[in-house]
Amino acid sequence: MASGFRRFGGALRGDGALVKKVAILAWNCWLDNLGSRFYAISIIFGIVILYISLLLGMLAADQELRVLLDFGLGFIELMGLAGAVFGAATAVLREIESKTIYLILTRPVSRSQYLAGRFLGLMFSALVSMLIMAVLHLAILFFKGWTWDRAYLLAFVGIYFKVLITAAVTLFLSLFSSSVLTAMIIAAILWTLGHFLPEIRVMTPWARPALWPLAGLSYVIPDLQLFNLRDRLADPQWPLLAWTGYAFVYSLAWLMLAGFWLRKKEF
Amino acid sequence: MAAEAALSFKSVTKTYGYSHLGHITYSLGVENLSLEVKPGEAFGLLGLNGSGKTTTFKLALGLLKPTSGQVSMLELSQVGFLPELPYFYPFLSPEQSLRFYGRLSGLTEAELAHRVAHALEAVGLAGQRRRKIRELSKGTVQRLGLAQAMLHDPKLMMLDEPVSGLDPLAIKDFRDTLASLNEQGKTLIISSHSISELEKLCHRVGVLKEGRLVRLIEQRQWRQASGGLEGLFVETVRS
Repeated sequence: MASGFRRFGGALRGDGALVKKVAILAWNCWLDNLGSRFYAISIIFGIVILYISLLLGMLAADQELRVLLDFGLGFIELMGLAGAVFGAATAVLREIESKTIYLILTRPVSRSQYLAGRFLGLMFSALVSMLIMAVLHLAILFFKGWTWDRAYLLAFVGIYFKVLITAAVTLFLSLFSSSVLTAMIIAAILWTLGHFLPEIRVMTPWARPALWPLAGLSYVIPDLQLFNLRDRLADPQWPLLAWTGYAFVYSLAWLMLAGFWLRKKEF
Repeated sequence: MAAEAALSFKSVTKTYGYSHLGHITYSLGVENLSLEVKPGEAFGLLGLNGSGKTTTFKLALGLLKPTSGQVSMLELSQVGFLPELPYFYPFLSPEQSLRFYGRLSGLTEAELAHRVAHALEAVGLAGQRRRKIRELSKGTVQRLGLAQAMLHDPKLMMLDEPVSGLDPLAIKDFRDTLASLNEQGKTLIISSHSISELEKLCHRVGVLKEGRLVRLIEQRQWRQASGGLEGLFVETVRS
């Protein structure tokens, strides 16, 4: 491990080759996603759904703005998540199937660099698609007379962190399961469970040995409820740094596991 | 002191394990393979389907890990690899692809400019450098495969079925390019079903049969043999 840190430090101090190669791979992944039909469809679908939220808002009469705000952010999350989970599930598997990975890993590129590049490219793609939807959402909100609230930005960042965490878990699962569909289904289950962790912990007390596996699992599953800032808009003191740290540490942990698995993988 | 081998296998065995419903079955990739390829040599790997040629390449390049034995090779920055069917990102052009792979190989921006132009020129792709790869024919993609393998001026080039699916004119162009690279001092390791190509290009050929290296044939041996390399190969695999 110490030698790993030394290599990493050396690359940063030296010509930055480590970081540069990750950036090259990330940019390529972004271009790859940009041409993906699924990526385009997820953005178009997101825009259509935002339009539907506009119609729903009209039905809500005096609560129109609130409905527009909640549905819009909810749809941005779902579409961002769908794109990122699909992207993460296929990020490496598609390259293995198409054998494009051969021409990368047979160059002086480590598997960790490769994985980091693919993931960063994927997260950049997710950010761009979510920003496009958010800009449209804001345009609708302003058109309806909404006034800017900093909480919107926090809610958006919270959603992005949920997408980040779920994509990191999915990337790991995709290497572990070797099946896109399985990885996506498990990721969807984890995402759902991640919103009910306090409830799961209440239902699975450590005092009952039969429930230990479930109780243990509740500490492995990401606590996505933490990032539901739409539920916390009234709590401006929420520790921003803490949930930022949680998102990065949690994602990094799953990426390191994915890296460990990829290093063992044969092609 | 003898020059360090460009590639060396010492008693390498690779077995694949396939798991189905908890039951693992094993199949042999290569068995007890010992081989040394000298710098500057053009070495051919010949064998029937499933004889272990691609496994040997993947072991050398680190895509597979040996079950036992030791593989050593030059650093990857000094190696160029052309897979059997080179797959590229269809949304890039040949020029963009080479820039991408060149950067990953550690070339500087200044080096990239002339290396990319030179590689495209060498494989006859200069006129198509800006077309999208998805629009290119199989033969053209194969040419691009060779360009990416030679792009960073490697000392060792590993070519898996380099002329597979090419038309006769393209095969001749490929052969001429590879011969020229070998004359410049590059080590070539070529895996192929095409006996005539190996006969024309290689100094030495190893015959793989069911994962084992059963014979090493020197150029002078097939030149002296009445049936050429083909006769020696058939004799070896049928024995």
